[in-house]
Amino acid sequence: MKLTGALLSSIVLTAAVATPAFAALGGDSATVQADVARMKGALRITSSAGVTVHEITTSYGTVVREYLTPGDKVFAVSWHGPVNLDLRQMLGDYYTQYEQAASMPHPGGHRHLAIEQPGLVVQVSGRMRAFVGRAWVPGLVPQNFSVNDIN
Amino acid sequence: MRNLIALSLIQVTFLAACGGGGYTSGGGPPPSQNIATPGPPNVETITVDMGPSGVSAVNTAYVSIQICVPNNPAMCQTIDHVEVDTGSTGLRILAGALNLTNVPLPQETNGTPTVFMTECLRFADGSSYGSLRFADITLPVSMKTASSVVVQVIGDPLYPTVPSTCPGPAENTVTAFGANGILGVGPFAQDCGSACVATAQPSTYYSCPSTSTCGASTATLAQQVANPVTLFSSDNNGVIVELRPVGSAGAATVTGSLVFGIGTQSNNALGSATVLQEDTFSGLITATYKGTAYSHGFIDSGSNGNFFTDSSIKTCTTPPSPNPWYCPSAEVSETATLQGTNAMMLTANFSVANADGLFNTGYTAFSNLGGTNPDPTGMGFDLGLPFFFGRNVYTAIENATAGSYVGPYFAY
Repeated sequence: MKLTGALLSSIVLTAAVATPAFAALGGDSATVQADVARMKGALRITSSAGVTVHEITTSYGTVVREYLTPGDKVFAVSWHGPVNLDLRQMLGDYYTQYEQAASMPHPGGHRHLAIEQPGLVVQVSGRMRAFVGRAWVPGLVPQNFSVNDIN
Repeated sequence: MRNLIALSLIQVTFLAACGGGGYTSGGGPPPSQNIATPGPPNVETITVDMGPSGVSAVNTAYVSIQICVPNNPAMCQTIDHVEVDTGSTGLRILAGALNLTNVPLPQETNGTPTVFMTECLRFADGSSYGSLRFADITLPVSMKTASSVVVQVIGDPLYPTVPSTCPGPAENTVTAFGANGILGVGPFAQDCGSACVATAQPSTYYSCPSTSTCGASTATLAQQVANPVTLFSSDNNGVIVELRPVGSAGAATVTGSLVFGIGTQSNNALGSATVLQEDTFSGLITATYKGTAYSHGFIDSGSNGNFFTDSSIKTCTTPPSPNPWYCPSAEVSETATLQGTNAMMLTANFSVANADGLFNTGYTAFSNLGGTNPDPTGMGFDLGLPFFFGRNVYTAIENATAGSYVGPYFAY
């Protein structure tokens, strides 16, 4: 599936919601709006084959994408930019599972982290000024969607 | 995604140019390595070993550093096992390795006398939280000094409440962090830079009306944690990490030199090294490996392996599962071509051996330790400390003229 083509039909919105909330993975599109407000970012929405992608771009170069199922549930998030994101906010209810797994000794030291569990996949890489990461819940990924398109 | 596509096109253009007669150097056997002798005015001793007590470090380079209360040479402590990190910026000391009673470093305020600043230092695998304090620092071998340096004291007991916006896992103890401190001598002058001047970034700088009520804050460049090298009165445009070679079997310990300055003394000339200009925003270069261009490339003493993607090299089957270290049945030799944002290219030769076998030696230094790179774009290519053994690797700081080039750049 190519999501880039869908960018042509994108809509650009600006932050208007001021509700503080922890959102993202496992949440719905309302929590995406909360993220836009928290990050003071601009929102672009694209959709393809039933999957909606909310892309938040901040003024300092961080790009966050939240992938929603046809049933309006965030099944994946991705981010890249100069600072690493607030994963408590991004991972929502899955944060505790992430923190436990990330606390285990792992190769890559401070630069790389890969968590691959049945209920959660998290990949983070980078160093100051250049972080990149993504996370998804395998059980929530729509059947016709390739996780290679989470980027 | 669109940005990456655009970058790829640029890379293709550059590669075509290079194939048509661009500069490539560094191939073949490494030239004889000349390691600067530690001592004044600009050379510090580096040791690669197991790290501080309770840490079993692998491929981690350490120096010692003296921390003093500003203008008070009687109140000092020398901290050993401070990691040399060309991939981060700033000096940070673990509170567990620092006696704040004997060395009561004054705290940095946000401009209001009673409102102090803290920082959440983000890594790919967690965060380190602590106060910002001023110190006079001395590198004890080179005798390089800097005054009133903003230092992060990680795990400062005065600030036991980590803000909820500073996500875990917490790396606030010596054992969790893997060092008594970190000396970030990377390509940037400040850790955050202009982004934190304009806007209170999430999970970065905080202002604290009380020790338990810290809120996200802006920070001026002067308030930020700076690359200590930029604060030296001379030899302040970058560093050279010079580590002795390590053979296929690994080494129990390795020594070398951390040279301050590039082209400022007779011992730090750029010489025949090839300069790879880094992206000024991200510090990244491009590595082409087995026909694929990886746009998230960097050379980094703070990475304990070479992390790259190669499905033809099998990963280890020992726990944890999946185990991202590479475990080829026999050592393999690999080559990448590194390319800066200028037209210059460098050949990067490295080897990959069986990580299980290496770890079984109990040694701490391996030039052939490699693993997969989880960069989710698939564009990651990280040449870590293994790549430094037997090479003198230059890291020049942004906007500084070093040799006849302006940083940020890598060179070797």
